[in-house]
Amino acid sequence: MIRTLTALGLAAVWATAAAQTAPSTMDIVRQRGVLHCGVTPNVPGFAAPDTQGNWRGLDADVCRAVAAAFFGDPAKVRFIPTTTPQRFTMLQSGDVDLLSRATTWTLTRESNLGLAFAGIYYYDGQAFMVRQGTPVTSAKQLDGATVCLQPGATTERNMADFARTSGIRLTPVAMEDIEEVRAAFKAGRCDAYTTDLSSLASFRFLQGAEADRYVILPEVTSKEPLGPLVRKGDWKWFDLVRWTLYALIAAEELGITQANVDSLMTSDSPDIRRFVGAEGEIGKSLGVDNRWAVNVIKAVGNFGEVWDRNITPLGVQRGINRLWTQGGLMYAPPMR
Amino acid sequence: MPSISLLRAARLACIGAAFAAPAFAQSPTLDAVRQRGMFNCGVSPNLPGFSAPDSRGVMQGLEADSCRAIAVALFGDPDKVRFVPTTVQNRFTALQSGEVDVLIRNTTWTLSREGSLGLMFAPANFYDGQGFIVKKSAGVASAKELNGAAICVQPGSTTELNLQDYFRSNNMTFTPVVIADTEEIFKAFIAGRCDAYTTDASSLASFRARQGANAEQYVILPELISKEPLAPAVRKGDDRWFDIVRWSFFAQLIAEELGINSQNIDSFMTSQNPEVRRFLGLEGNMGKPLGLDDRWAYNIIKKVGNFAEMWDRTMGAMGVQRGINNLWNKGGIQYAPPMR
Repeated sequence: MIRTLTALGLAAVWATAAAQTAPSTMDIVRQRGVLHCGVTPNVPGFAAPDTQGNWRGLDADVCRAVAAAFFGDPAKVRFIPTTTPQRFTMLQSGDVDLLSRATTWTLTRESNLGLAFAGIYYYDGQAFMVRQGTPVTSAKQLDGATVCLQPGATTERNMADFARTSGIRLTPVAMEDIEEVRAAFKAGRCDAYTTDLSSLASFRFLQGAEADRYVILPEVTSKEPLGPLVRKGDWKWFDLVRWTLYALIAAEELGITQANVDSLMTSDSPDIRRFVGAEGEIGKSLGVDNRWAVNVIKAVGNFGEVWDRNITPLGVQRGINRLWTQGGLMYAPPMR
Repeated sequence: MPSISLLRAARLACIGAAFAAPAFAQSPTLDAVRQRGMFNCGVSPNLPGFSAPDSRGVMQGLEADSCRAIAVALFGDPDKVRFVPTTVQNRFTALQSGEVDVLIRNTTWTLSREGSLGLMFAPANFYDGQGFIVKKSAGVASAKELNGAAICVQPGSTTELNLQDYFRSNNMTFTPVVIADTEEIFKAFIAGRCDAYTTDASSLASFRARQGANAEQYVILPELISKEPLAPAVRKGDDRWFDIVRWSFFAQLIAEELGINSQNIDSFMTSQNPEVRRFLGLEGNMGKPLGLDDRWAYNIIKKVGNFAEMWDRTMGAMGVQRGINNLWNKGGIQYAPPMR
């Protein structure tokens, strides 16, 4: 027992020493005056520069929300495009403070890379697309359909599992090359096309003026939870990123929007008063201004607004990304 | 030799701080638990459904079983856990001081607890919400009819804050009857010292179930006035320990989703499904980076069961419906990231 207590005491001393020698991410970002946010180079809906060179997308807005929470200013972000192979190294090395880059949260990424996922802002996963005019509104109505897909144990198994649990029969039409699969689907060689929701959205986006010919069905049948990552060992920063995401979700639940947030400073609702910083000290406990959540919502709107601006135009329905009170999975712990 | 491991931990921490390499963080908590040969889990002393001793003195409940799942992940043995009783008042101190390694005690995950107390929460193992129970004889059908009522409530917790918020929002008043001890508050409510008793709905259900033949005399009102995600808490700054706690729970969800339970798990050992094989430790080295045996998840399911089994023998047996605590693909919000 004494040994253990001594060990814990020493651990505390070491932890304190480490905290004194290593500058925290918050210190680094504050001193630099700008957040370095790692994003994808060009994935419409998630992060891509528009014609004026402004970054647009869900990932980009999450970067802006964190900058707004920390600096009170969503413009204090430098968007740093990262490739798939280099993205984790850039976070580990400190080139970026935060990776908001459509990255799936998995066990080994969390346990092997010295990184931690702060939450989930997009429940991605395998979904189905049909051509406009196909008389179905749900993947469960696809009984007897042929489905184009790329061969691969996971995609086919997920589809077989979904068919079995839904009591329907689906016949795979497998093709190696992604372009071949998409061409076959467009040409009507199969009734539906299945791959990850975000990939279906990107296919649809690439059809330009003909995007409306394709309909993404709402069901998501496998798990690809996308979330922002930070370095391990800096839990104040982890908290700020995780609660910035939760602020977006909580605002939607409380009916707080970009348009009405200023008028809510005089609300009588204790939940809203704490959210806007009119009472309580939730900002202080995160190490930021007490109006941090107001700054987030003024910058990008609530989660529903962020979704509608970035993802809805891709033809992706809210589905499991709705609030928990509306049949989805989005849930924020209490902001108190 | 704690000093050697601590020096290593400090060295690795420095490397991590310099961003030189993705260091495998050492875990002071894991080291201490291994050295002790026993995992100290802070629980509620007597809350049926969550953690309460049965007639043989064995702790039973959803939270007791969550403690056991972690003990199994660490030692392969569900008995290598010491249940440390904690009160509402001393629970956070018990965790901060190192008296317990994890706190799994009907504790709501909130922003200020995570921001200010040096703690962090692993995912909610139970999405709960605060409700009210009254005597049937009171003839009350809704919490909105409680204006002017005397309400029994435990002090020093979010329960008291929610109560104030709810009455304030609805322009109602109430008289708090504040009692710290769970048994005392039950007695006070039964004796009529208050008109209603408020706490999380799950606790109301366990209180009601404990009344045996008299259960019918009590009514749980329909309103849930808050979100109460109940979650295990750990100390901040111990990365690997946090991973172990959060993934021990995710493993139970993943098993349920894969249809793997304590009874059928061995029949999956010949599965060709890579997801199943990784889960069982047959491929992929899912344990080593966490500092655990690769069969850690297998062991949890074999010895404690998947989430549905754990729920059914604890909350389910108390008459609490799964509801939002169902898996994400069955109408609930319980969701685990993929194990790969």
